[in-house]
Amino acid sequence: MRVDEVIFGEVAQPPEASNVARVISLLVGIPKEKRAYTLSRNCASGIESATSAAEKIQAGLDEVVIAGGTESMSNIPLFYNREATKIFLQLSKARTLTEKLACFLKFRPRHLLKPEVGLTLGLSDPTCGLNMGQTAEVLAKEYGLTRAEQDEFALTSHKRVQAARAKLKEEIVPVHVPPKFEKAVTEDNGVRENLSLEDLAKMRPYFDRATGTVTVGNSCQVTDGACALLMMKEELAKSMGYTPLGYLRAYTYVGVDPSRMGIGPAYAIAELLKKTDLKLKDIELLEINEAFAAQVIACERQMEKDGVGKINRDILNVNGGSIALGHPVGTTGNRLILTLLREMKRRNLRLGLISLCIGGGQGAAVLLER
Amino acid sequence: MAMTHNLKLRFENGFAVVEFDQPDSKVNVLSSESMAELEGILAQLRARQDSEGKALKGLVLLSQKPDIFIAGADIKEIEKISSPAEAEQKARAGQKIFSALEDLPLPSVALINGACLGGGMELALACDYRLAAHSDKVRMGLPEVKLGVIPGFGGTVRLPRLVGLRKGLEMILSGNPVSAQAALKIGLVDGLASSQRLLTEGMELLSKMKGKRRHYGPKLKGFSDVFLDKNPLGRALLKSQTQKFVWKNTKGQYPAVLKALETVAGNYPAARGARGASDEAYQREAKAFGQVASGEISKNLISVFYMMEKYKKAKWVEAAPRPIGKCAVLGAGVMGGGIAQLLSHRGHPVRMKDINLGALGRGLRQAWDVFYGAVKKRRMRPNQAALGMGLISPTADYSGFSNADLVIEAVVEDMKIKKIVWKEVASQVKPGAIIASNTSCLSVTEMAEALGAAPERAVGMHYFNPVHRMPLVEVIRAAKTSDETIATLVEFSKALGKTPIVVKDECGFLVNRILLPYLNEAGLLLEEGVRFEKIDDVLLDFGMPMGAFILMDEIGLDVGYKVAALLEAHFGERMKVSHIFKAIHEHGWLGKKSGRGFYIHERKKRRPNPGVYTLLPQRPESAMGGKEILQRMLFKMVNEAALCLEEKICREASDVDIGMIMGTGFPPFRGGLLRYADTVGGAKIVEALEKMKEKTGSPRFAPCGYLVNLAKTGKGFYR
Repeated sequence: MRVDEVIFGEVAQPPEASNVARVISLLVGIPKEKRAYTLSRNCASGIESATSAAEKIQAGLDEVVIAGGTESMSNIPLFYNREATKIFLQLSKARTLTEKLACFLKFRPRHLLKPEVGLTLGLSDPTCGLNMGQTAEVLAKEYGLTRAEQDEFALTSHKRVQAARAKLKEEIVPVHVPPKFEKAVTEDNGVRENLSLEDLAKMRPYFDRATGTVTVGNSCQVTDGACALLMMKEELAKSMGYTPLGYLRAYTYVGVDPSRMGIGPAYAIAELLKKTDLKLKDIELLEINEAFAAQVIACERQMEKDGVGKINRDILNVNGGSIALGHPVGTTGNRLILTLLREMKRRNLRLGLISLCIGGGQGAAVLLER
Repeated sequence: MAMTHNLKLRFENGFAVVEFDQPDSKVNVLSSESMAELEGILAQLRARQDSEGKALKGLVLLSQKPDIFIAGADIKEIEKISSPAEAEQKARAGQKIFSALEDLPLPSVALINGACLGGGMELALACDYRLAAHSDKVRMGLPEVKLGVIPGFGGTVRLPRLVGLRKGLEMILSGNPVSAQAALKIGLVDGLASSQRLLTEGMELLSKMKGKRRHYGPKLKGFSDVFLDKNPLGRALLKSQTQKFVWKNTKGQYPAVLKALETVAGNYPAARGARGASDEAYQREAKAFGQVASGEISKNLISVFYMMEKYKKAKWVEAAPRPIGKCAVLGAGVMGGGIAQLLSHRGHPVRMKDINLGALGRGLRQAWDVFYGAVKKRRMRPNQAALGMGLISPTADYSGFSNADLVIEAVVEDMKIKKIVWKEVASQVKPGAIIASNTSCLSVTEMAEALGAAPERAVGMHYFNPVHRMPLVEVIRAAKTSDETIATLVEFSKALGKTPIVVKDECGFLVNRILLPYLNEAGLLLEEGVRFEKIDDVLLDFGMPMGAFILMDEIGLDVGYKVAALLEAHFGERMKVSHIFKAIHEHGWLGKKSGRGFYIHERKKRRPNPGVYTLLPQRPESAMGGKEILQRMLFKMVNEAALCLEEKICREASDVDIGMIMGTGFPPFRGGLLRYADTVGGAKIVEALEKMKEKTGSPRFAPCGYLVNLAKTGKGFYR
């Protein structure tokens, strides 16, 4: 077994698997002597695992790494709030029956019946106080984006995924659903067939009910998913008889204002191009994660404004994106690398770029080559 | 004082330390010799204690063998017992020595570092205190009933005294040992310590306890525990309920279990809580031991025990085995899913392939049900099940097969399909990977031809259904199978916890070839007008784990018919399939899986299916007696087994017996099919077969040359 290390990105780590990468590694039968760790850079965790792998390989610390991302957003638990947790803690410390009884009597229905939703907590920014949808609203207002252009963008995503079903299937491993195993999940279930602009227009703004333009229809879907890449140096891959899918050429992460986190890609792409001495027009295929339609369009505007260039929508997210597929946060970055490289192979292209906005106010961009 | 071989006495920090270390052996067993040595040491200690005015602080007993305290009494000595009186006298002698240990005027502790079974357990029970190691190797129990005897050195008195009547009965009647953790929980041991610190902590325990044990009361929790232990009514209830349970499970065929129940329950009120139980209790135990130890059943069970031990270790060929890591299973049916579960449970990553996702789902379900069924019964922890499921990866193509060291093919029993699949596999695996078929009767040699090259890696690996429960694996040597391949699969089977037998590649191999004629005979008897319920009752009374028709319902009447038809195609007239099997499966009654076969299967219940008789021509009910029914079925098997020996399908009679016991559940207390045949006698069997042949006019009863020869020379299969 040549794998030295397994690295997985994940945002909401399950309480029963503190280091989920290690659990994955052991469950798939990688020898226990090998290493594994889990990391998080919020929405870019799946990219961070790949770039960390590249760093470790370049530093000579690892030769072969499995770098991936995993997220089960349907399994994020509910929590007792702080007040209730405190009473439970006191209860566990109580020695005598009277003490225990006294603790019990402190419970009120609100403690037990109003749990905090882990998913909501995870999708909110504790520093700026906004949830992710609200940060998209900030951008929509700042850049003057209309509801119609956001809905149109969303519709394109659905249409492109539908058209690319067969292509996407190539990168999907069927998953049987326990305990009956009667059904195997073989394709993404977020896509709405026959979706129309009218359907999208009917939806009410979700994050700013009165004046907003961001709806659940033009936002990414909450979903489960996992992805993994086998990474090593070119010479080693060739000596082992593998044909590389592609090369990770350069990457960058930038910080932005947390309340405008969706704008991250605009700055990350600009910086990466500068770093690699490339122009936007050199990029033959582009993926910008669709956290929100508003956020991607805002990035386009900002890049034009900064003179980085105008994005050609014909090469952007050609097989659709997270609005139709869903955005399992820790996974998406990793999947974008895979999806882009496979499409570059189909089209026989040389240079591609993926970029993601990151909750908490960051942007990530990776330059891929083949 | 005479020199001692097995036991060594030394003195340390004011304690007497007795070390058990049987020379030239990996284990310690209690033989007459070591018992005599113990008696001498105890007498010496007693004299010293009396003369020096209680100078010693205590006695520590320990083992010098890693992971073994004392594995039990010397079975060879039990085997040699020829009369109840001799057995009783032996038990009395042992009891006397252990009572001397219990009555020694200094406190004693047994340091249990591993297996502490049978006589070894009884020795530990005679000590004042017991300290066990924190180790998975610690197993404490009284497995005597498994050899058809009962504990004879005071175990039936001292174990319930310590752990209570309910727990005591459970341990003695089941014969199942408990772990160190469980032993602590039920009060069987007084503490646990790390293996390295056992001696130190044993001495500390004795110092702390300041003298002999004063309290023997079991740890009782809750009302029912107390009621069943302290109240005469409760005890009577426990006894009668246990008796019912034992009858239901053994049908009275394991007299030692009933004898043990009688002895334990009879002694209990007297033994409860008392330091020195009355000698009457021990006398009763010795008498009961005498009654079972000299019996036929015990002799048979002991011979089966030896046989199993021998086959667990047997090497079969001289070649060195290769290690097996990753595996692949082809076909995700009941057998494929079951095999994948077995492999992954033992830590092997498994690729499971079938033609579509639906089929793969059923294979995964099969494995899942076994894993989580065990979790539900608390035989496995949830994490073990999750890990096991994780190691099985389904695939609809051959990806990953190139990593496999072993491919096990378990597709449908159709030579055409097998050959196609084998050809495909050959192009996917790495050179040197072993390719095994889980076929139950098809020719592995023929499959090997499809490989194209390197037929030495082709072999049969025949599991029995359900895979996780049946302990036998038939390793089938095809025409060109190499010794290395055989050695690898033999060792691999053992590593999976199975017992392998190596057999020749001939239709039906060994077990099915002998079993199918037996099942077929049941069908033919039914056609002759014998009611199938009656046939099953006769077989159950003989000790078969289930009747022939119930067994066929379990196997599945479609699968059973297919195998029977293949055997008929190969062997002809001798194995002509009974019409009823064709009729019933064509009627859509497939047995348990379809809810209806010879029996109607309802939730946890079954009753005979009267519809079966409508499939048969009208015929008056036969008046055939149980003995004749039994002879027809058993002697048919004996004859086929003899033919297998004649044709060298296997090497010797014990191959047949181990195969039938472990592969079909032939009753171990009968000693095995051929050992049973020996007790009947070859001449008598031949005579009976000739009579059957005459009566039925069928050549299937013609005794084979091997059997006729035994009858002529007066020899047995074993002698």
